[in-house]
Amino acid sequence: MQMGFYFDQTRCTGCNACRVACKDWNDVPEGPEAWMQVKYLEQGETPDVFVAYMIQTCFHCESPICAEACPAGAITKRPEDGIVLVDRNACLGKEECGAKCLKACPYDAPQFGPEPGAKMGKCVFCTDRLVQGKMPSCVEACYTRALDFGPLDELQKKYGQAVEAPNFKYSKRTKPSVIMNPKNPK
Amino acid sequence: MENPQHSQDVRIVRATSAFDCGGRCPLLLHVKDNKIIRIEGDDHPDSDRQLRTCLRCRAYRKYVHHPERLMHPQKRAGAKGEGKFERISWDEALSILSDKLKETKDKFGPESILLMTGGGYLASLHSGSMAAPRLLNQFGGYTTHYGNISSEGAVWASLVQYGSVMVGHSREDMLNSKLIILWGWDPARMISGSNTMHHLLKAKENGARVISVEPRYTDTAAAVADKWIPIYPGTDTAMMAAMAYVMITEDLHDQAFLDKYTIGFDKFKEYILGDEDGQAKTPQWAEAVCGVPAETIADLAREYAAAKPAALMDCQGPARSAMGEQYCRFAATLSAMTGNVGKPGGSACGGLMGIPIGHMFRMSAIPPGKNPVEMTGPKIKGTLDIRDRVIKRIHINKLWEAILEGKAGGFPADVKMAWSMCNNYLNQIGNANKGDKALKKLPFFAVNEIFMTAQARYADLLLPVTTAAERSDLTYAWPSGPYYTFVNRAIEPLGECKSDLEICEMLSDYLGVKDYRLGAKEDDILKHMVDQNPVTSKYVTDFDKFKNDGIHRIELKEPYIAFRKQIEDPENNPFDTPSGKIEIYSQRVADINSPKCPPVPKYIPTFEDRNDPLFEKYPLQLLTPHPRNRVHSEMYKVEWLREAEPHVLWIHPKDAEARGVSNGDDIQAFNDRGRVALKAFVTQRIKPGVVCMFEGAWYQPDENGIDRGACANTLTKDDYSGGGAAVMNTSLVQVAKA
Repeated sequence: MQMGFYFDQTRCTGCNACRVACKDWNDVPEGPEAWMQVKYLEQGETPDVFVAYMIQTCFHCESPICAEACPAGAITKRPEDGIVLVDRNACLGKEECGAKCLKACPYDAPQFGPEPGAKMGKCVFCTDRLVQGKMPSCVEACYTRALDFGPLDELQKKYGQAVEAPNFKYSKRTKPSVIMNPKNPK
Repeated sequence: MENPQHSQDVRIVRATSAFDCGGRCPLLLHVKDNKIIRIEGDDHPDSDRQLRTCLRCRAYRKYVHHPERLMHPQKRAGAKGEGKFERISWDEALSILSDKLKETKDKFGPESILLMTGGGYLASLHSGSMAAPRLLNQFGGYTTHYGNISSEGAVWASLVQYGSVMVGHSREDMLNSKLIILWGWDPARMISGSNTMHHLLKAKENGARVISVEPRYTDTAAAVADKWIPIYPGTDTAMMAAMAYVMITEDLHDQAFLDKYTIGFDKFKEYILGDEDGQAKTPQWAEAVCGVPAETIADLAREYAAAKPAALMDCQGPARSAMGEQYCRFAATLSAMTGNVGKPGGSACGGLMGIPIGHMFRMSAIPPGKNPVEMTGPKIKGTLDIRDRVIKRIHINKLWEAILEGKAGGFPADVKMAWSMCNNYLNQIGNANKGDKALKKLPFFAVNEIFMTAQARYADLLLPVTTAAERSDLTYAWPSGPYYTFVNRAIEPLGECKSDLEICEMLSDYLGVKDYRLGAKEDDILKHMVDQNPVTSKYVTDFDKFKNDGIHRIELKEPYIAFRKQIEDPENNPFDTPSGKIEIYSQRVADINSPKCPPVPKYIPTFEDRNDPLFEKYPLQLLTPHPRNRVHSEMYKVEWLREAEPHVLWIHPKDAEARGVSNGDDIQAFNDRGRVALKAFVTQRIKPGVVCMFEGAWYQPDENGIDRGACANTLTKDDYSGGGAAVMNTSLVQVAKA
């Protein structure tokens, strides 16, 4: 089984509730490290403007290239649900290895704090919430209901097969576990 | 994964915030060792119906436990406004304040005491905005302000047109609309009731066509609008007049509806057709004023008249302008012309969007009593003549001028001291630099506060206040309902903090005001309030369950529709106006006999519009909408929220290029009132000639008077419209690269 996200780009208003809820539940400190972020895209000219938001997080890829890149073997993929986790004790730190995981990841999912020797942090799919039968914090927080989660095959049944969307490129090499409802320019 | 926070001794406390924030969302606060360690949202079993909180309350614990919270009483130790203080005891603090109050009353009369309250804490029991008036009324009186910054234009317009401020529909009703026109309404940002954006998205998915009329392409429009019509600020009424012109000349309006439910349409028609002033309000005429192509205006008029039902959603932002109330009156008039008032899927307009179940306007409160200083004033209850309201009170957007000029300037008092709570007016009313002068001149200033805000820096005496997490209280669903919420105390007060009510209770002893203390337990008082409130008592019958759940939801059989009774059974349900009808022409307004208050809605040019001679010097119109990542100026210090959206000035590429400005550049925006420094966001999402910065960033003047915090009100004018609206969206500015 592979856990994944569903992102309905047509419902996202870029509010960042997901980002803050993630920081709250996972106690991510103030600063640039954010395991869930929202990217901005603007195209066109007044008054025919196109605006789309896109989540930026770990998509728990089928082939996590970050794990291959990590010299310390700190990144692993759980066999039971495909969630990719990092062992922060094993992580060498940002400077020591030059953040190889971040360089390898097509989605900038690995995050580092500003302090020297910062260890990598990233979306852990709120595994502690999943065992309690709860939604990941970002999904629970989304007040426009643009986010959902679940086993990837169930998400495909519910939402279809789309994996491309404006401001997102599906990596055939890593195979991110995400289904999109893309918002396309009129 | 081992998580140290997930342990047995964590309590879950059901609460809400009490911010003046547009929503009211249930929160599950995880509390351990007197600290909120995590937050979850509403756990209603039907996730679709959950009242999900926005990013702000997701960061609530970082606000409650912020390292910069004020923890002890302090007195000024440097120059006024310098922000230097020394810690004192509560006894010393209350002695200073009570001595000042007594001395000022004895020497100058009670009217020279200015009480500044506000919307910073919207709950029933602990609010200083109720507790302090009650105390000072018993003490001998005071002078205070009239009007609120947010909604005065919309309130005035709704009272004129309908005689009621309950002009909204349940948000679910948007699913009944065929056409939704967002006219200056951005619920993605200002929330406008928990779940409102969710319902608007559903309406869109349900097939409604959505059109946005706004100077900005808002996040709401980006999500739901089929079309964006950019318009110049302050000219909405010109476009609306031209829409009325098209409907009248093409016979698209609902004359039967107008005949049955309204008065004064003929007089309005005379104005529209130019019989009154020689100018027909044609789309060509409007185009020259509002910058919207004539054909676009005519198309929208035809589309709005044809789509039934259609919801024209006006709000309060465009009404915060120099003729602001005209916009809400015009919208309501168009709604009557198209027969959309009182109908499912329609909208009454009026800008307030409230329904009477759970509405904050009907909040329980401790009765404040009567102010002896106001006893000799004119009767103001229900009056539409703002001039009567500022005989004994000061218009909220004239506070600084009143302090500086006093009676000589036509104000009701010479202010010798002020006491402030639940507000940060230096930041949140017009003309912050004038506020700087006024607060430096003010002989004594006491401030109850949670943080060292822009305004608190000017205090002579600072009293530390608890947050809503440190007390129990009743909160309300802002305008949207239908539900009531209960704040359970999550943690014991931090430091030496007290609620505004507790401060007033302590101060009553020092002032010798007897019988002020409520003398009952918090929960007993709250239960009494629930039982005594005519609306709450009807719905909340089990107080213990209400408290335990933190919320009481009301199941309506069908969505609430404003004025449905008046439309379906007019004989038995007249409107609450003198005529019993929707008043497109208002005799009450005609009787005011002021050029700023026309009896039918009109477009009237104003100061600092595009025809003002000042436009040559300051050729950009400034908008100051709600911020997304703070509640007005509350939560400004919370880093999780600041990093989610940097404080920037929206500027169109054409205007940016003409000034050599690129995206992300340091720029300054300025006019004769002040100068702010911030970064440019160069975007196609704003009409050329208009710039925008979100209100609420804290005023922070440097030694040269440049506001490094970039408070929007450093640039806004301290004035008000004929209906009392603060003119926050009527400012001309220039922008230059820093």
